[in-house]
Amino acid sequence: MKVAGLLLIVLFAARTARAQEALNCHFVPGWEQSEPKRQYAADNLYDYKDGGAEGYLQFGFVRMTGVTCKSGEDTLAIDISEMNDADSAYGMFAANRDPSLPIAAIGMGGQVQPQSASFAKGRFFVELVVTAANPNSDRTAALQAFAAGIDGRLEGRATAPEALGWFLKEDLLSTRLVPESVLGLRLLKRGYVAKYKQGQAFIVIETSPESATEVLKKLREHFDGATPATVGDEAFQVKAPYLDGICIFRKGRTLAGYANLPDTRQAIVQAVQLAARIP
Amino acid sequence: MSANTSRREFLSAGLMLPVVGASSRMGLWPPFGEPVASDAGSAVKLDYRTLGRTGLKVTTLGFGCMITSDPSVIQRAADIGINYFDTARGYQHGNNERMVGAALGARRKHVVLSTKSGAQDKEGLLKDLDTSLHELNTDYVDIWYLHGKGSPADIRDDMIEAQQLAKKQGKIRFAGVSTHGGQPQLLPWLAQKGVFDVVLTSYNFSMDPAIEQAIATAAKAGMGVVAMKVMAGGFRSIKPDDPLYKKLQQDGALLAALKWVINKPNLATTIPSMTDMDQLDENLKAMAHPFSSGDEKLLAARLELIRPLYCRMCGQCDGACQKGLPVADVLRFLTYADGYGQFALGRERFLELTSEQAAVRCGDCAECTVNCPHGVHVSDRMARAQELFA
Repeated sequence: MKVAGLLLIVLFAARTARAQEALNCHFVPGWEQSEPKRQYAADNLYDYKDGGAEGYLQFGFVRMTGVTCKSGEDTLAIDISEMNDADSAYGMFAANRDPSLPIAAIGMGGQVQPQSASFAKGRFFVELVVTAANPNSDRTAALQAFAAGIDGRLEGRATAPEALGWFLKEDLLSTRLVPESVLGLRLLKRGYVAKYKQGQAFIVIETSPESATEVLKKLREHFDGATPATVGDEAFQVKAPYLDGICIFRKGRTLAGYANLPDTRQAIVQAVQLAARIP
Repeated sequence: MSANTSRREFLSAGLMLPVVGASSRMGLWPPFGEPVASDAGSAVKLDYRTLGRTGLKVTTLGFGCMITSDPSVIQRAADIGINYFDTARGYQHGNNERMVGAALGARRKHVVLSTKSGAQDKEGLLKDLDTSLHELNTDYVDIWYLHGKGSPADIRDDMIEAQQLAKKQGKIRFAGVSTHGGQPQLLPWLAQKGVFDVVLTSYNFSMDPAIEQAIATAAKAGMGVVAMKVMAGGFRSIKPDDPLYKKLQQDGALLAALKWVINKPNLATTIPSMTDMDQLDENLKAMAHPFSSGDEKLLAARLELIRPLYCRMCGQCDGACQKGLPVADVLRFLTYADGYGQFALGRERFLELTSEQAAVRCGDCAECTVNCPHGVHVSDRMARAQELFA
């Protein structure tokens, strides 16, 4: 037990050291660290992020380390948040990204704008914010270099969650991880949601086909007037307030479906196509 | 959507039950104070208060939108009659404002909508406001807060100028300040300043009574007071799939915490975060039932559970340890391990103490010189930290 404990501490220390290594103001010439590195845990993140801290906690926030760099009159804040797992780190990125901009190939996915950047890599969610003397200045090149430097020093997965690839691509506007209560329903604890020009799709992966069956049964009981549908292993359709035309199905241990479509017929048509893409 | 569960809950709670469709709520707002129908067909008793000098009549249960993912929860809350919705420019880098704006849609004109900016100067604030109005799809916000101020020094004159200018331009109706700490100093200053209409403050049953006095001062000066973090920090990290969460739900402690705040006469409304329909239904009960002696007992028990364990970081123990231990810091390290399951982090921080501090064993002192005003059993907790980390 003692050996296992020691091993855990060593692994933790190694991972922390890698994150610390990534906090470096020298990825771009001319930038210098201006103040001591900062650290926050779940209980004091409010001191730094105010009410926004809850958004981090919701995604399984573990700790944040950060550094402030200066170049002339410009200031760059780099913050690396460690989350419970890589999916949560990607979830943080997806929740905070600008949906009108494309996702760049940094880590699992990232975005670089004139004065800010963010990306996810492994269990880490990275934010870079420039406060420039000239509010209209463009620091894209520096931010890209910083992001590349940090990306190279962080360990972990560099591909987006597999389930995101299952969503249909046509008319897709954005995808994200919802950390609790998908579609506003507590029964759907955590999953991915894709927003389309019309309606939204979701994917929730349960621990087993049995637990997925149980959740589907409870969902069906939850909706008045739900009737069976032929999608996946089992499914139902219903029209409901706020969620409009719905079709929810189970395939193995995955629950998925469509909501907010004008009628259930359209929801079923879409759900059939989604089911075909789920392994 | 069927809300059979919530309907049963409301029935058992003895609420009124006129049968009216949810659609009747849209565009036909009933007079304040009347029970209104939920989509379940059951009625919810709405409780209103006046938000200080703004004169706005707000439901005592408002809606903190920050972590809400699905617009349907906001839409249903608005249709039920909840009429105060809060967001901020900084939440999810603006994505939250966009979602709230889209969710409210035509309902916007029937609700009090607030947002915040954390910008540090007039230009940044006004730029943020224009972005907020665009994202929220509205011409004005009812209340615009300077976000997360902890002391009078955080609020500069040019920030006040920005709020005054925005008022003149009709982009905001009322000016506010939000705060997570420093209320005993900040709130009387805000009250005396006379240019702020509303304060949004963290406030719950576990906090220092000095905050209550500060809130009373603000309310007496005519400021509207809105409460956030009403479920108390002790509950914050507990998720719905945590067994302790179920226990808290079952014994009603979460609802009791909300009722405790609503029961305070100087508070106009509250903005608990809500992510799903069940949470909305649970929180609605807080408006229907007064804070009871049973609730008081529940919270007293919860406080007793929290009090000996959790340091409130008030700083009153600074320098009190005869052996020179930084008591609040060590208690925080212990919270990493005990409260958040982060043993390695707690130990790492503990090992950053000086060798003299790390060598101290509280059991060796005949008497502890540290007396926590909030009831934390300091010597016991310090001894546990030493046993765990040293």
